[in-house]
Amino acid sequence: MELLLQTLLNGLLMSGVYALVATGLALSLGVVGIVNFAHGEFLMMGAFLSYLFFALQGLDPLFSLGLAFLAAFLVGGLVYQGLIRPVLPAPELNQMLLTFGLSILLQNLALLLFGADTRVVAPSYQAATLTLGPFFLGAVPLGAFMLSLGLLFLLQVFLTRSRLGLAMRAVAQNRLAPGLLGIEADQVYLLAFGLAAALAGVAGVMLSVILYASPTVGFIFTLKSFAIVALAGLGNLKGVVPAALVLALAEALVSTYLPGGGGLVEAVFFLVLFLALVGRAWRSP
Amino acid sequence: MRELSHLPFLSFFLLLFALLPFLPLGIWGAFLLDVGFFIQLFTAMALSWDLVARTGQLSLAHGAFFGLGAYGAGLLAPHVGTLPALVFGAFVAGAGALLLGSVTLRLHGLYFAIASLAFSEVLRTLALKLAFTGGPIGLPVPPPFGGVWPLAAYYLSFGVLLLATALSLWAEWSPFRLAQAATRQSEAVARVLGVRVVRVKLWSLLLGSLVAGLSGGVYGMKTLFLSPYDAFSLGRAVEALVIPIFGGLYSTLGPLVGGVVLVGLEQALRLWIKEGYLVVYGAILILVILFLPRGLVGLLGRRRG
Repeated sequence: MELLLQTLLNGLLMSGVYALVATGLALSLGVVGIVNFAHGEFLMMGAFLSYLFFALQGLDPLFSLGLAFLAAFLVGGLVYQGLIRPVLPAPELNQMLLTFGLSILLQNLALLLFGADTRVVAPSYQAATLTLGPFFLGAVPLGAFMLSLGLLFLLQVFLTRSRLGLAMRAVAQNRLAPGLLGIEADQVYLLAFGLAAALAGVAGVMLSVILYASPTVGFIFTLKSFAIVALAGLGNLKGVVPAALVLALAEALVSTYLPGGGGLVEAVFFLVLFLALVGRAWRSP
Repeated sequence: MRELSHLPFLSFFLLLFALLPFLPLGIWGAFLLDVGFFIQLFTAMALSWDLVARTGQLSLAHGAFFGLGAYGAGLLAPHVGTLPALVFGAFVAGAGALLLGSVTLRLHGLYFAIASLAFSEVLRTLALKLAFTGGPIGLPVPPPFGGVWPLAAYYLSFGVLLLATALSLWAEWSPFRLAQAATRQSEAVARVLGVRVVRVKLWSLLLGSLVAGLSGGVYGMKTLFLSPYDAFSLGRAVEALVIPIFGGLYSTLGPLVGGVVLVGLEQALRLWIKEGYLVVYGAILILVILFLPRGLVGLLGRRRG
């Protein structure tokens, strides 16, 4: 029983970061309408940024969080302006090929620059744990969980309370009408894409401590985020958090209870994705 | 008639590949035969990817079909001989395609793209973990026909290229082309016109996956060794899609031209760049989508008026 609860606790703590990354993906899909295969590469950049600052300057990853947010926002904006905007009128196949090409390019650029090794950012508090009765909570996963929830809450407030957030939701609902009301769709797209990248960048810093930084770490999270978004329903931001919880809990259960489950954890996201699509195919005519 | 004008080019390419082993190439002969082998195999992959793309679907699972065919053929070849093993490998790939397609092809196109990428990633994980694949250690594969004929692998890959070209030409010249084009341009309109959209997409995917599976099987018999990282590499899918996009989508000539140029270039570049050569493919993909969406063939076509 204690093992089960500890497992569920671990899954719960991981779900925060999953939700953060997947929300970014859902934002670019729902608002901009682009299937961004390169979403995880913003995460990968955030992770390497954190690693570089830590290794070269001894900078605490807590400071890298803000830096990564700004840097990823900037890179995301540039990517939107330079690559995404020109293909928005193109067929969907071309859009997907472009973001896939960007993902391949960035992953292999990182491979050339840093090699395939995994690098962990290990500040003094990395291994700190809190004891809660019979259970253990890692201080870093707990902090990442709280921070993710905080960011998602801020995003929710932004989308429901601010004029810009309302404009973003308006553009997501209808491509034409907001333009007639004086909303510059293009600038809203830019903001949404930058924001999506920034969320991934922050998550990358957290993962550089919880997990590691490596050229392929972002790619794994792109796939997991797609599974979460497919489960939640395309562009449905509210469904992302429960869907992230489902995936994280399923992974935690597999890694604890399946013999030799350590490697098969990486297959759980596919099961979630596949079942979500089977359900969707059944419901659609 | 436009399609027919490509026929002399096509026949020239195929004839060149058929005669390559007999040309007086001197000391470069062995190297060029190797390059020719990979050009034929990956061009066949590219043609099979294009077959799926003609219905507007982005397949990122061609690396998975390649790997399924490679492992299917490699596991069976010691017991039943070369050709039955290759056919079995292709059927395994086809079964994977049917499983993937029957669930996702009813839905919006992006679901298929996402699921196909996830499919290829999860198969690599499974190949690493399952007992009968040899896991990370890998799987030794016997050479074709017991190794009695040194050119066997080369002509097997030529056969796969011929099959892929024939399939692609058939799809280009028969009414199937119209069904594919209608599906690609607007599924709703195609449905109204009486095209069985899901069936067209599923058939295209099945045919494409069979060719990709055959390519994988022949690949294993050439390299004589398979590892999950090699056989299920995402790089295969990247090659399979960059070649037609670079050469020119939705045609038979485009992937052929693209294959000769890109795979030839890759084999040459690999002498210098060992790891991370996919950077080149990523960059080509982005540049071509942005600036040359009709590919090399489109460029030549425009020049000639």
